[in-house]
Amino acid sequence: MLRSAVALVAALLIATMLPAGSGSAAAAGAVEVTIAEVDLDGPHIATTTVTVTNNGSTRLTRLNVSFKGPVGWAVQPASQSWSKAVSPGASATLTFKIQVPAPRPGFRIRTFAATATYTGGDGAGTAVGTRTQYTGEALPNLAAAYNNVGVTDESATTAGDFDGEGNSFSAQKLAAVGVTPGGTVTALGVDFTWPDVAPGEEGNVAAGGQAVQLSGTGERLAFLGSGSSFGASGNVTVHYTDGTSSTGFFGFPNWSFQEPGTHGATLVASSDGRNRPDGYGNAGIAYRVFAHQVDIDPSKTVAFVVLPSSPSLHIFDMKLAD
Amino acid sequence: MVDMPHPSRRTVLGGTMAATAVVAGGSLLSSASSVPARQPGQKSMIGVPFEAVDTVRIGLIGLGNRGMGMLSGWTAVPGAAVTAVCDIRAPRAKTAADRVVAAGKPRPKEYGGSATSYQEMLRTEELDLVYVATPWEFHYEQGKAALLAGAHVGVELPVATGLDELWSLVDTSEQTRKHLWLMENCSYGRNELAMLKMAHEGVFGEVTNGHGGYLHDLRALLFSDTYYTDAWRRKWHTRSIASFYPMHGLAPIAAAMDINRGDRMLTLQATATAPRGLADYRERNVPRDHPSWQEEYINGDLVTCLIGTHQGRVIRAEHDVSSPRPYSRINSLAGSRGIMEDYVPVGGSSARVYVEPDHGGHSWRDFTPYRDEFDHWLWKTVGSQPNPGGHGGMDYILQWRVVQQMRAGLVPDIDVYDAAVWCAPVPLSVRSLNNGGRAVAVPDFTRGRWADLRPGLDSRQSEMPPVG
Repeated sequence: MLRSAVALVAALLIATMLPAGSGSAAAAGAVEVTIAEVDLDGPHIATTTVTVTNNGSTRLTRLNVSFKGPVGWAVQPASQSWSKAVSPGASATLTFKIQVPAPRPGFRIRTFAATATYTGGDGAGTAVGTRTQYTGEALPNLAAAYNNVGVTDESATTAGDFDGEGNSFSAQKLAAVGVTPGGTVTALGVDFTWPDVAPGEEGNVAAGGQAVQLSGTGERLAFLGSGSSFGASGNVTVHYTDGTSSTGFFGFPNWSFQEPGTHGATLVASSDGRNRPDGYGNAGIAYRVFAHQVDIDPSKTVAFVVLPSSPSLHIFDMKLAD
Repeated sequence: MVDMPHPSRRTVLGGTMAATAVVAGGSLLSSASSVPARQPGQKSMIGVPFEAVDTVRIGLIGLGNRGMGMLSGWTAVPGAAVTAVCDIRAPRAKTAADRVVAAGKPRPKEYGGSATSYQEMLRTEELDLVYVATPWEFHYEQGKAALLAGAHVGVELPVATGLDELWSLVDTSEQTRKHLWLMENCSYGRNELAMLKMAHEGVFGEVTNGHGGYLHDLRALLFSDTYYTDAWRRKWHTRSIASFYPMHGLAPIAAAMDINRGDRMLTLQATATAPRGLADYRERNVPRDHPSWQEEYINGDLVTCLIGTHQGRVIRAEHDVSSPRPYSRINSLAGSRGIMEDYVPVGGSSARVYVEPDHGGHSWRDFTPYRDEFDHWLWKTVGSQPNPGGHGGMDYILQWRVVQQMRAGLVPDIDVYDAAVWCAPVPLSVRSLNNGGRAVAVPDFTRGRWADLRPGLDSRQSEMPPVG
């Protein structure tokens, strides 16, 4: 459970060297890149070290390490070289400075990445290490992240703003195709639950990189939603209890004017017309709900999910599924 | 009337380098960027803390609009003592001293009556801080003299107008081991500091460009017979085509880009519009027997500097004080994930913002939630209390912070290198405009230390040492 950021940090600090998204430990004999813990109590200039360990069978030479922090965080230097050879079993440790901002409220993921290029060693030529640190707590569930009114009653449409222009799904027309508050919507072999909120209330998540707790296992993570632009897509990152993560791309078509298979989505329901600020309208045009999914690591337990950063991508539900 | 010393040709044209800048091709980029060698024993002032003092003894030079306006703040800051006041006009020094007494503080010693009165003050008084608020043409010589007298020095904008003068101030600071900085109050503006903290958080993504300036319709004041002593500011518009005073908008953008703290200004290109505003205003509003009718205004109404940085960023710094328009310092910062623009009201604040992933739909949002979240500690503490400072409170925050840093022995937020590079557009704009707007090199006043990450205005909260 992700009730304590401290516990999570402790778990994550153990697994900082795994290549992002791989979910697997470095192969035996491989060159490893590890990043030391970063003091996130800014604002200050923090110092960290990157250690490159030569687990290969030959000398590692011409080592260069580039280092990056979270977007917008300055680091110094951006890259540096190691002039000496690193013998098998030995390590090289390089120091980098990071401009750490003041702690920000809410759940924050701070990822640091170091890329080593070299000759010799394991012969791969490149090795990457990442370190992910967290502050705050993820939202307890998807409902806690609801931030958009996507469905309104035809008798009271003004609260709706699914598309940024004051338009929304009609609750009556959704009900006509079997989509009702708290009801089950089945797609991709998954029984989704339609948000159990009254029309006119916030009942979907406009994806903005929110971190949402989700516990369990499965082979895939499925989403029920729709898009309010032609670019409603992005990467979702699934974080596991062992500190590793995996990333998958998904998206939804525009709720009306886009091919239903766009981004690889599956059409789930089509409602007739939509509610506009001045009332129901656009009868004869379908406004649609879709499903999509990403693969996850079935051998691991999910801790939380970081939604894409794509505000036109609206999520009504998400579920783990086999 | 007291005659104002006529500025030297060097000062007028932005320094020797600018005055002789009939240079072609790549030499424009190389000559201005050449770094003079340090004298033996001369060392950088980067990261050098003030020597802590219990009471900051302050001497003021220049008691016109700005100097007198800042007096109440210097008098009010805990642990500060105004011990000497100086103005070329002796009655002003007396007025200032009276005000200090009226505030319940010991009477400062008065100096005045001549252009060299400040020298007597510097010879006689033992001062920790000298604050210079005279007309621009005096800043360099008075700032340097104060350093040589053993004081730290806060100078109003600009600290100097010539490249050689800027280098001289850097060198003198390094040689005397005393700090000199630009009294850039706008660096402590509430929105500006929030913008800085947002940039450091990465809210804008990788910052790529910024836009600042000083757009202030000063026409009525420039033609006033009483506001600017001897009309000194208007006369600058008769002498040179330059970006005289872009620092209020430039400095916050430079801070948000970590100029001198990870990035540096590399090149500057200037443009200038035709000079129309002052003559047109005079035609419509100034009597024919006014002395201004003997003047010809040559500075462009809008002078724009495009500054390129080592990290591939671009800063646009504007200066316009001679056109009719509402006030703005622009304060716009943009990057790979969003943008903010000040002075464009949306919702409850004077600024607007659009950042991913928080926003979508191509519509601006109110800046207020961001200003609240990224509010600088100085505004949460000092700024939240009633204070005597002007300009919305940022004057007093600047003064409070200066005194706090000196009393606590902290490293200054703004140092001589910041002051030099923020003021360099004055002479560099002249140099660029003299060469058809071609790019000219911006000197590295840090002598290679610009790449070092180090703290600045985005500081950790700290307390004012107790008084007594």
